[in-house]
Amino acid sequence: MEENNLVTVEFFGLYRLAYKKACVKVEAKNIEELFQKLYEMDDVHTPKELRNSIVLLNGKNIMELRKFKTKLKPNDNVVIMSPASGG
Amino acid sequence: MATKYGAYAGKVMYVDLTTKTYKEYPVNDNDRKLFIGGKVLAARIIHDFVKGPMDPFSPENPIVITTCPLNGTPCPSSARFNVSTISPLTNLLTSSNCGGSFGAQLKKAGLDALIIVGKSEDFIYLDVSEDGIEFKDAEFLRGLTTGAAQELLPKKAGKFVIGPAGENLVKYACVVSDERAAGRGGVGAVFGSKNLKGVIADGKSMAPRYDQDKLTKLVRKWTKDITAHPLTGSQLPKLGTAGLLSTMQQKNLLATKNFKEGQYEGFRDICGEELAEKYLIKNKGCRSCPIQCGRVVEVNGKQVKGPEVEIMGLMGANILNNDLQKIIQWNYELDELGMDTISASGTIAFAMELNEKGIWDSGLEFGKIDNISQVIDDIAYRCGEVADQLANGSRWLSEKYGGKDFCMNAKGMELSAYQPRAAVGQGLGYAVSNRGGCHLNGGYLVVLEGLGLSIDQYTPFGKAALTVMFQDVMESVSAGGNCLFTTYAFFPPFLLNKPNWWLTRLVNKVFPYLGPVIGVANKHSKALKVNISSMLPQPLGITHATGIKMTMGSMMALGARGYNLERLINLRLGLDPKTDTLPKRLSKVLQDPDNKKSKVPIEKMVKQYYKARGWNKDGTIKKRTLKYFNILDLDDISKRPLEEQGERNIIPPKPKKDKKPKAAKKDAPDKAKSANADAKPTNAAPKKPLTEEEKQKRIEEALARKKAKEQANAEKKE
Repeated sequence: MEENNLVTVEFFGLYRLAYKKACVKVEAKNIEELFQKLYEMDDVHTPKELRNSIVLLNGKNIMELRKFKTKLKPNDNVVIMSPASGG
Repeated sequence: MATKYGAYAGKVMYVDLTTKTYKEYPVNDNDRKLFIGGKVLAARIIHDFVKGPMDPFSPENPIVITTCPLNGTPCPSSARFNVSTISPLTNLLTSSNCGGSFGAQLKKAGLDALIIVGKSEDFIYLDVSEDGIEFKDAEFLRGLTTGAAQELLPKKAGKFVIGPAGENLVKYACVVSDERAAGRGGVGAVFGSKNLKGVIADGKSMAPRYDQDKLTKLVRKWTKDITAHPLTGSQLPKLGTAGLLSTMQQKNLLATKNFKEGQYEGFRDICGEELAEKYLIKNKGCRSCPIQCGRVVEVNGKQVKGPEVEIMGLMGANILNNDLQKIIQWNYELDELGMDTISASGTIAFAMELNEKGIWDSGLEFGKIDNISQVIDDIAYRCGEVADQLANGSRWLSEKYGGKDFCMNAKGMELSAYQPRAAVGQGLGYAVSNRGGCHLNGGYLVVLEGLGLSIDQYTPFGKAALTVMFQDVMESVSAGGNCLFTTYAFFPPFLLNKPNWWLTRLVNKVFPYLGPVIGVANKHSKALKVNISSMLPQPLGITHATGIKMTMGSMMALGARGYNLERLINLRLGLDPKTDTLPKRLSKVLQDPDNKKSKVPIEKMVKQYYKARGWNKDGTIKKRTLKYFNILDLDDISKRPLEEQGERNIIPPKPKKDKKPKAAKKDAPDKAKSANADAKPTNAAPKKPLTEEEKQKRIEEALARKKAKEQANAEKKE
């Protein structure tokens, strides 16, 4: 892990309303750690709850990568979306 | 007209605007049983009027306004009524359904449907009540916007009107009821061509329901399910349809720059979350709707209906605009002027590309937004040469100037904001939809292909059968009177709440492979004599409200009956099945050069669709399909004698089988009869008007009650 492994996290859907912010910078080496850090920062959703979100890393769904073990690099863009969206 | 079924007013009226006369139209109980209501019943009625191609602006073109059996019942989200006619935009049948209060009010006025033909010499509106139909002068409403016109009409009535766009025959003019619109296909222009500003309806008749107790129980559970569902209980109330936009962006589904791309870098400024955080004042919804998906925002100091996802995409990403305030403003202006937001936006985007390519200089440019309000206003009044041409829609422009390959329409109707190259099933839906490039009438497969579930967006496998099934289900739900959002219960919550769970991922993987099984079910739907109320409560709702026994299978058959009948009408109107296609940009050009699947293999998919529908290879309908769905050799309703109908005498529900002693059982039928006798039949003799004495007595009683209440309140305060 690099010293400053800052990634950008963007919230969409109900997560954005819950976190009351669009974007946050977090230092984390993988998705699991990212979830933990988010919980420690804002106490909105537990890591377990966040496992039910859709997570995209640089536009790719992490379920097609290494799921929650997917590693993060500096300046990665992580999108956390609520799964259901109907119109 | 009498009916033995509950929830129907039992009368359809035929209005001739030329002669200013009206008469009853002999729709009978067999029609009600087979076609139920809404767009399907409208298709059954229009079927008899269409003998060949028809000029949409001719007096012969009928406007058929149909209510649905669930309108006016407490069933959740059941306010939708329907307007069908021959569209000036597509020259084919169009059906446009609408929320608001009009459907329930028309039924309270004693009518299930209104058929309007002819052309009035003077500018009028129709006033429908239990006493009959009045042809009223509408000169004082001429040129008024939809909001202003509705304000000037009687307050209590259900109403819908056209705006200046309808009066000036803009081919995608809509009709507006409250703030809801029957938007698509230019029904407003057909109103305008008949010198008809609108219709109001008011009454007090309540059609009795077949089994009120069971209906009440069902409604309770149904409402609970809707409010507990992740889509209808959480996502839609909190974010509205606008909440889709960011998902569309992430899944390459957001039509951008006239559908050239599927993602827009400025999407963050125009997404639903931005709308909710910065502009939303409160939620609003139709009558009896627990979802309340409508957004209330402020424009010019006035609280008005906020934008839906379609205009946010089409007037945002699709014209390279990231100013959400402007979109809110344009949405309001389009509603007030009475224009379909989707077709207006699509036409503007096409004109922008024509200009960019140096083909036609309309003054419209991608990313330039300062002139849009003026252009919208000019289109509504057909003011100036450019606006006059824009008012004819994008297909008309492509026929005049060229650019058919990037004219984003199907059969003349502009596509909504979903990029189909990243959702090929939705692409098929656009191509084969009966009313043209409509996402809903096309089956809305995009909900499986990224918005709700995550099945393979790019595979054509299984999509034809899925499209047929979803088209049929949505067709039948519309016929019953429910909003299409109620169909989301079809998806068990875990599929939406737990996208990463192994079972959800498995379902997403195998869903397309269910295509062949679903195909068999589609073709033999009548055999599915089951009801799963947690997935599809609508058939039970119709059963309890009307007494017409519906199952999941008969709902699918109802949808297929409607869909095939609409196709049959379109073929009579001169539909060329070769137009079951998409512009070349979508079917021949890759959206993502690195993804060879990122285009819609439309020829292959249309062939599969014809087969799945039970149609011939040339796109006509096989006789055996027509026969299976009971629409082969339909008679002409207008030629039936009115006497064919009997007196209204609703069949009582079967008495419950209980464990009471036999002697008690014998009483049950009597109980059912007496329960039914409490219901007020609509054709019962009207109550005698109150005498002056009786009126005075009631006023005094009310005053006494009020006084007692005030006294009680005062005592409480003390």
